[in-house]
Amino acid sequence: MSPSDYICLLPLIILALASVIVMLVIVAKGSHKTIQFVSLALFALAFASLFPEAVPLPHAVPPLLLMDRFGAFVIALILLSGGVVCLLSYLYFEGKEEGPKEYYLLLFLCSLGGGILAISQHFISFFLGLEILTIALYALIAYLKSRPKAIEAGIKYLVLAAFSSAFLLMGMALIYMEVGNMSFAGMSGAIRDAPSLPPLFLAGLTMLLVGVGFKLAVVPFHMWAADVYQGAPIPVTALIATVSKAGVLAVLIRLFLALEVLSFPRAALGIGLLAVASILVGNILALQQKNIKRLLAYSSIAHLGYMLVGFVPGTRQSFESLSFYLVSYILATLTAFGIIACRSSKSEESELLKDYQGLFWSHPKEALILTISMLSLAGIPLTAGFTGKFYLLLATLEPDYWALAFVLVLGSAVGLYYYLRVITTLFGSYPIQENTPSLPVTSFYILCLSLIGMLAILTIVLGIFPSPLIEYIRGIWIS
Amino acid sequence: MSIIWHITSAVAILSTLMVVTRYNPVHALLYLNVSLMSLALLFYLLGAPFAALLEIIVYAGAIMVLFIFVIMLLNLGKETAVQEKKWLKPRVWVGPMALALILLLEIFYLLHTSQQMTGGPYANGRGLGTAVSSRAVALSLFQTYVIGVEMAALLLMAAVVGAAHIGRHKKTNLHRFLNEDHPL
Repeated sequence: MSPSDYICLLPLIILALASVIVMLVIVAKGSHKTIQFVSLALFALAFASLFPEAVPLPHAVPPLLLMDRFGAFVIALILLSGGVVCLLSYLYFEGKEEGPKEYYLLLFLCSLGGGILAISQHFISFFLGLEILTIALYALIAYLKSRPKAIEAGIKYLVLAAFSSAFLLMGMALIYMEVGNMSFAGMSGAIRDAPSLPPLFLAGLTMLLVGVGFKLAVVPFHMWAADVYQGAPIPVTALIATVSKAGVLAVLIRLFLALEVLSFPRAALGIGLLAVASILVGNILALQQKNIKRLLAYSSIAHLGYMLVGFVPGTRQSFESLSFYLVSYILATLTAFGIIACRSSKSEESELLKDYQGLFWSHPKEALILTISMLSLAGIPLTAGFTGKFYLLLATLEPDYWALAFVLVLGSAVGLYYYLRVITTLFGSYPIQENTPSLPVTSFYILCLSLIGMLAILTIVLGIFPSPLIEYIRGIWIS
Repeated sequence: MSIIWHITSAVAILSTLMVVTRYNPVHALLYLNVSLMSLALLFYLLGAPFAALLEIIVYAGAIMVLFIFVIMLLNLGKETAVQEKKWLKPRVWVGPMALALILLLEIFYLLHTSQQMTGGPYANGRGLGTAVSSRAVALSLFQTYVIGVEMAALLLMAAVVGAAHIGRHKKTNLHRFLNEDHPL
């Protein structure tokens, strides 16, 4: 490896070293606060090293990795989510029954897995990145191991994720058998001249999609989502909803673009069906949820459906809109889970919708931030969610995919109902409660709240002035 | 050559079917061992003797021993001896034995005629036909795919740290006078 390779991969190298550094801090008996500050500093350092001046950006590190501007963009999103989750974790884990030490180590490894996925251009790095991400998540989900729900969620995720990895591997093996190459570029060379996809290749691609579908929790592979979201600690739920989705989505985009699969109508139809099913089922199942974590789980299924819609046209514009949508989804999701984490006490998570009854009258700041996040997820104008959805709709309508556009609008209309239900709960009458213990306001609480508030403000700013981000994303996809 | 490939594949499929249809775990394990060995022979036929050996050492050797250890640890007691006796019926070991014998004959035949590694029917024309020496494996692992090896190391680290956390027991801090295990 040449020096420029090292410079280029510096963010990932820092993440890998960070896990070792955290281990050393644990051995030196550092306090929770020390570990927290070290972790935050390392996340910031990785973020700072992301855009190297010395190396012009499409830089391949053959044969496994390719760092280009899209990869840097997704890694930036992953590091942002990782950093926010890291800060939330202090608030959440301080005073919990489990020492939070290994937690930060696994958090770094999880982000590393997502980062590897974002820049991989080879089946080997695809699989290894995905497994680093998933194996770190198994332990993170079951981290509070004395709680039955956490163990249940951990086991569920373990069994289903291992099963889906087996599907993924089998799909990769079938594709390799057909084309005899495992790098994305090499595979595309082998099938480019084919008039239609060879059957073995199509079978492999289908199995690969099943595996990826499980990780993205799109319908019909969504069964685990609600239980795992509910059982996992709140920061980890935020991590599943952001880092793992962004990483897997990025590698799927890379694979599909390299193979030019979408020019084959059968493949585009398959993705379109997954998208339609996810949008409809996710939104309908979310309607009657009384638990806000489950509600967000079903909402994330629907959002992944919206993002898959962006795959179908296969134009540059559709991938631009998908990237924008990913940003708006990650911002809104982090904000929502941030507020839920802030509202939770040491022994109980405030996950029921009725815990938020009349929150506006007691804690107006938190309620306003949660409202902004819900509005953005629902796609109300003046938020980033609206711009993202509008952009996506435009990208779908330009090549005349009317049915998909109709489902997208229908799904958003159904979704409005449950997002607004959360908001009406927040602004509803304040319940008469017997001595509710008020949460202590620490300096970390204020720090977290201001960070989440900044994310909420960013959501609105992107809703009003989306052009800088759109210009930036265009720049990514032109090159 | 191709006939040996087909026989081995048949053994692999048959033994794997037997694995999933056995009721007794140890019987299933015997068949699993045969299945792994036939996979090793398939690797050998494809021209990857190094992978074949790894398959035998790691899967048929280490992991299988681990399995058997766990099963043996689970049913300690007086019934163990009775069960041992039951397990040693010919009905139990003849099946795996016969399948393993086929594999043994095949490998003897291959070694004797020194016809090795020309690749199976699926390897033709896909660059799999030539034998891959262990030197080539080492070079590709530690030169071309060195980043992949690093990633695998981090993967193992995640698994070890996670397992250590989940498996750890909480220490109960009793005063030594209250601890009944160590009376004074």
